[in-house]
Amino acid sequence: MAAEVVASTVEIAAASQVGMKALGAGLAVGLTGIGAGVAEMGIGSAAVGATAENKDLFGLVLILTVIPETIVIFGLVVALVLWFV
Amino acid sequence: MVGMTGGPAPYIYVCTRMRVRKAKLIQRDEYQRMLNMSLTEITRVIEETAYKQEIDELATSFKGIDLIEVAISWNMAKEFQKILEITPGHLKQFTRLYLRRWDIQNILTILRGRLQGAKSGKIKEILIPAGSLDRVDLDRLLGEESAERIVEMLRGHRMYPVLAREFPAAKESGSFSRLENELYKQFYADMIAEAESGIKGGNLFLSFIRLDIDIKNVKTLFRLRADDIEEDPREMYIAGGVLAPDEFVRLNTIKEQDEFVDALKTRVHHKSLLVFLEELKGAGKVRDIEVGLTRVQLDQMERMSKRNPFSVHPILVYLEKKKYEVFNLRALARGKASKLAPERISEYLVI
Repeated sequence: MAAEVVASTVEIAAASQVGMKALGAGLAVGLTGIGAGVAEMGIGSAAVGATAENKDLFGLVLILTVIPETIVIFGLVVALVLWFV
Repeated sequence: MVGMTGGPAPYIYVCTRMRVRKAKLIQRDEYQRMLNMSLTEITRVIEETAYKQEIDELATSFKGIDLIEVAISWNMAKEFQKILEITPGHLKQFTRLYLRRWDIQNILTILRGRLQGAKSGKIKEILIPAGSLDRVDLDRLLGEESAERIVEMLRGHRMYPVLAREFPAAKESGSFSRLENELYKQFYADMIAEAESGIKGGNLFLSFIRLDIDIKNVKTLFRLRADDIEEDPREMYIAGGVLAPDEFVRLNTIKEQDEFVDALKTRVHHKSLLVFLEELKGAGKVRDIEVGLTRVQLDQMERMSKRNPFSVHPILVYLEKKKYEVFNLRALARGKASKLAPERISEYLVI
């Protein structure tokens, strides 16, 4: 009886560990995505404004606009590490 | 900043556009080069900048100095109207209010022209439809023969109460100075009232207006000292700045220039203005002081726009800088047409 209870507790703990990992991975990608979005809002608005006045700036502002995407990449890496390592 | 749909993004968009436009304005070294050019060469240089479209459009109707003057005025009016179009939320309200100064200028030009018997076509050439009265409204006003009818047609406009009150006396005396003073006083009072009405961003607009008023009052004080005008200084005083009416009158009574500058320094708080007053030794030419004060104002405005990069400041700074670019080009063209020496012309430029 006692052995059964221990086995069931271990199973629950193992399942909960997997759940927590999934939650952590989800948060890592989700929150960094929101962060990148907020950052890109400002940069994107300025980029569109600058391009509207001077079309030659398009290439430069495009690079500046996607720089916050690196935050999502960090989040993705963290999520992958959590999930697979 | 917020207070409209879309959050701060539209503010960032417009303020960036203003910064890019400001960077495209004619720079100091280009003015220096233009000082040594002929009128035709200046026209060609201007044609290569933002004024190309207007120069091309008007080249068939105007020549020489008239072409430059009309083209740069039209360009400025078009530019200001475009800015009003793209400005979001409360910024549009403030910008529209700020541009009303052109309505005052246009109405005074029309009334003066009409009373002096100038032809409508000639008056139209010097109008700058950058305010709330567009080209169609101004054409309608120009279509009226009598000045009284023009005033009457403005019923409902913010200027009307002052015009109705002051115009008969101005017409009788032949001097528009009091009418002009009263219109500008009301203009500044309206802007202050709007800025203090609790609209978001109003405090930043207010700081800009106060700077403008302070510089105007200081310029008036220097002008009064230079001209020995026997007029009540309170007539020319604009309320809302750092100087109270009594202080303004008291400063005007100080005869000694250095004493006057020292007294002024205790009252003003803007850093650039203090530095300017610090460097002001002896009684210089009033025109040089005025140009210097305008430079101080632009410099201070620039600082404010850097401190508040996504507010009404970058927009207003651009409007001011564009205005002075047009003034500079006009001074350059007029100076060249009058065959003035480059050094003489450069004294009138606000670079």
